[in-house]
Amino acid sequence: MCFFCNSLALLYGVAPIETGGFRIGRTQVVRVRRGMGNEFTLEKEKGMKNQFAIAVASLAVAFSYSEAHATLVPPSFGFTLQSGGTVVSGNAGDFGSTTNVSPTEWFFYGSCTAMTGTSMSWAYLVDPDPFVTGSLSITNETAFAREYVVDFELATSISMPSTLISGQVSGSLTDSNGSGAALLTSTAGGAVYTALGDGLFVHSLMSNASQSVSSAFGTTSFTGGSFGTPTPLAGPAINNAIGIRYAFTLSAGDSVSFSSIFVANPVPAPGAIALGILTGVIGCGGRRRVR
Amino acid sequence: MVGVWKGNTVKTSTTTVAVVLIGASTTLVGAAHAGFNSSGCVFSVSSSAGTGTLTNVTTDLTPTAWMSTGGWLSSGDASASVTWSNNVWGWNPSTSAGFMNANIVIRNNTSAAQDFVFTATMSGTATGPLTASGSIGGQFVNGSGTLGMLTSTGPLWGASVDGMTVNSQLSNALFFAPPFQVVSLGNFNFSNLTVSDSIDSDVAIRFSMRLSAGGEASFTSGFSFVAVPAPAALSLIALVPVVGKRRRR
Repeated sequence: MCFFCNSLALLYGVAPIETGGFRIGRTQVVRVRRGMGNEFTLEKEKGMKNQFAIAVASLAVAFSYSEAHATLVPPSFGFTLQSGGTVVSGNAGDFGSTTNVSPTEWFFYGSCTAMTGTSMSWAYLVDPDPFVTGSLSITNETAFAREYVVDFELATSISMPSTLISGQVSGSLTDSNGSGAALLTSTAGGAVYTALGDGLFVHSLMSNASQSVSSAFGTTSFTGGSFGTPTPLAGPAINNAIGIRYAFTLSAGDSVSFSSIFVANPVPAPGAIALGILTGVIGCGGRRRVR
Repeated sequence: MVGVWKGNTVKTSTTTVAVVLIGASTTLVGAAHAGFNSSGCVFSVSSSAGTGTLTNVTTDLTPTAWMSTGGWLSSGDASASVTWSNNVWGWNPSTSAGFMNANIVIRNNTSAAQDFVFTATMSGTATGPLTASGSIGGQFVNGSGTLGMLTSTGPLWGASVDGMTVNSQLSNALFFAPPFQVVSLGNFNFSNLTVSDSIDSDVAIRFSMRLSAGGEASFTSGFSFVAVPAPAALSLIALVPVVGKRRRR
């Protein structure tokens, strides 16, 4: 068994098996299966190292295996709403519905009116791989401006020693009570949007922000900015969770809606990159020897 | 007496989703005021994604204002949804101006573009003439790996009185969003618009759009209307101080 197969056997408990194959001219077709999983077919040139072919196929099988198993249970996606010393929190799925959209994506939709004088609803598409994208709406039903801090946190399915990150936020503010004015400001000069990794600051948008409406039942839309677009930024290690925090002060009787995104992708470790280069070199060497 | 509004769920059997309207009774406050008196608010959703289940909870905020939060989920895989939250509606007891808000989020998790129509209809009557103000603003999020698109099907937003559109915004709208990007749709406002001589049955806010697969659109919007005194009434008001002065003399 080659090095890759040995490694995969150690990682996933079951070694990939070369289940058969046939030859068409200079090309050999190899079938590989991991445990009871799907059979993968890989074409290789005559003389190419079997280990390389099996390793690549094994990696494909292993990834498909882990992806398939990650979708069995909805990811943990929780929220915390804080205002005026009151905290309401819970799993978003317990306050609405959770739908499996694709093999790795989940849609959370719900609302929370547990905090007196505040109504909040959300619609988020999440992927534990991970990303969080969706919308949050809040109405301050009280007669006074209120400070809000709202966190959404998604448990990730992978540990990422280093990341590439991107994010964005936009929103709209409406004078819902017809007072003739609505005001949204970032609280204490902070940022309205903060991307979180393992509960810690990763990046923020809308620092020292202020958005206003000056007509009864009027609306204003705002683009809160973005980071890591089109080229993702280097981010920190994220091992357990990503999230988005909204922190703002909202005038009495008014509504605000935010649409936002936070994506974190793992950066291949130097060892993995070197290994990739090495396999390429081995492959090229094999082909040269055949010629 | 103001009726108590309770939550309700309607399982629909057709594409056009039926409406939630729970018994409510309202005192007809001051007919002489010539203002607006609401007798209930109704929400409906129709979508090319198919049939769905609609839920709504309406709570009292004040004796003349209510708040509705609810949603619609397509049947089966629940791959399309419309959420409305914090939709405050009613009337202002001092000015008797009627108002309604529509804050909604529409999500298409299907594998194809889908059409959505959301309508919030507030029942009530008023005598006018009436002037109106309103607004809409929103965002479009593309949660897919391909180019996302939001198009209006007719006007994206419209306000109506007794079924007649009195103002519409974002007609022939077309917005694109790259994969995993948010696009602001801008904001649109109007005010002091003469809309009608009276309200005989209802006023409504309507959203109508097509969302690409993986797209999500969220909006905040409002619509308000108030009776303005007719010229004859104004001259009557002007006459009152004169009469008063003469009496004092």
